[in-house]
Amino acid sequence: MLNLYLALLKYKDHLIFLIALTLSLTLLMKNDSPDVLIIRGKFSDYFSFVSSPFAWVKSMTQLQEETQLLREKNIQLTLKLESILTAQKENNDLRDLLGFKRESKLQLLAARVVNMGSSSNLSSLTLDIGSKHGVKVDQPVLVPGGVIGKTVVVGEYSTIAQLINDVNYRLSVRILPSGNAGILQFVSEGYCEIRELQKNSLISVGDKVVTSGFSNIYPENLPVGEVVEIADERASFQTVAKVRIQPNLGALLNVFIVTEEFDEVN
Amino acid sequence: MKLINIILPGIAIFFVQFFFVDVLSLKMIRPDFLVIYIFYISLIYGKTSGMIMGFTLGLLSDLSGVGSLFGLASFSLSITAYLSGFLHGKYERLLPYIFHIAWISIIAFHFLLIAYFRLQTVFVSDPQIFWLHWLMSFSYTMMFFLITQFFYPIQEASRAEVT
Repeated sequence: MLNLYLALLKYKDHLIFLIALTLSLTLLMKNDSPDVLIIRGKFSDYFSFVSSPFAWVKSMTQLQEETQLLREKNIQLTLKLESILTAQKENNDLRDLLGFKRESKLQLLAARVVNMGSSSNLSSLTLDIGSKHGVKVDQPVLVPGGVIGKTVVVGEYSTIAQLINDVNYRLSVRILPSGNAGILQFVSEGYCEIRELQKNSLISVGDKVVTSGFSNIYPENLPVGEVVEIADERASFQTVAKVRIQPNLGALLNVFIVTEEFDEVN
Repeated sequence: MKLINIILPGIAIFFVQFFFVDVLSLKMIRPDFLVIYIFYISLIYGKTSGMIMGFTLGLLSDLSGVGSLFGLASFSLSITAYLSGFLHGKYERLLPYIFHIAWISIIAFHFLLIAYFRLQTVFVSDPQIFWLHWLMSFSYTMMFFLITQFFYPIQEASRAEVT
């Protein structure tokens, strides 16, 4: 017994190292375990509460600039509205003619970014709304530029959103107008790739990339980005499309969470 | 006293990392003050203190918000603390250039671990981007590491508890 104790004392450094490694690897492998998610949700609430004053100060300093931008945007949008209303009327008439009876609408929930985590690489955002506001796990997170991620951990008053640049993030997308579908994954800052596209696909630079609607998480046709480069894979029948996404994920202040998609029958 | 000397700066550095690291973000690459702190703690107080703090701060860092790979920070910081602990009190016994190569390699390895876990798909598809990302994140934190050297040189830290 004494020998064992002495051995433990002698090798305590290595023992602690092994324990720390085992615990860390267990956590890494149990990322999606419900228990881990509950703990993360609780802590997310605490951290969100602690960082909310800082987020408030940050947003106040940027408020003036944002107001000016919003005014300009407001004028532009007012001008656009007229033409959109005309187009909508025309669209409705054409839909009626074609017999389309379903129209999809999204229910969006505005959220403020309160924190971006403390990791040296940005891969998540903490938002100031949670399950009390109707947020659930696996709901899309958007900005006007397109999809930027999905909710992964939901506390009562805060949510952690996994960003598009996370290593495990995949998004089923469609390239328009050709309609080719593929899986999008992050490559480097501001850019993603869609791999495994057929070489004979009619894709060109500037094509829009939208969600395909194949997944249960993302409704179809949410904007994602646009194709900026197409490269053929050597010795393969496949091609790779490089896509530009929302460029500055690190400067986000406000985002939207798609809480519900409802189809209404006209 | 030793406990206070270790824990209080740890908490302070965690909050600095948590609140102010966004301000220093360059193209989504952010400095890692936690690794600098853990390295110094291991160098001054040895492996055990470094690993306990590394694991705890890593866990806190993961809990403060990470998309996936929850547990990666505690994993990498524990390894960094363990390796750095070998340099505890060794400055006088090793050749200076070996000592400096050793600590720089440990920090480089820390970032390699993080980059590999985070960008494993990029590592396969485009190694050039992977290595560039690793170099950038490593160099950015090293810049702050070198600034810290002016206030508390590593050789002093290494013999801090010995003398």
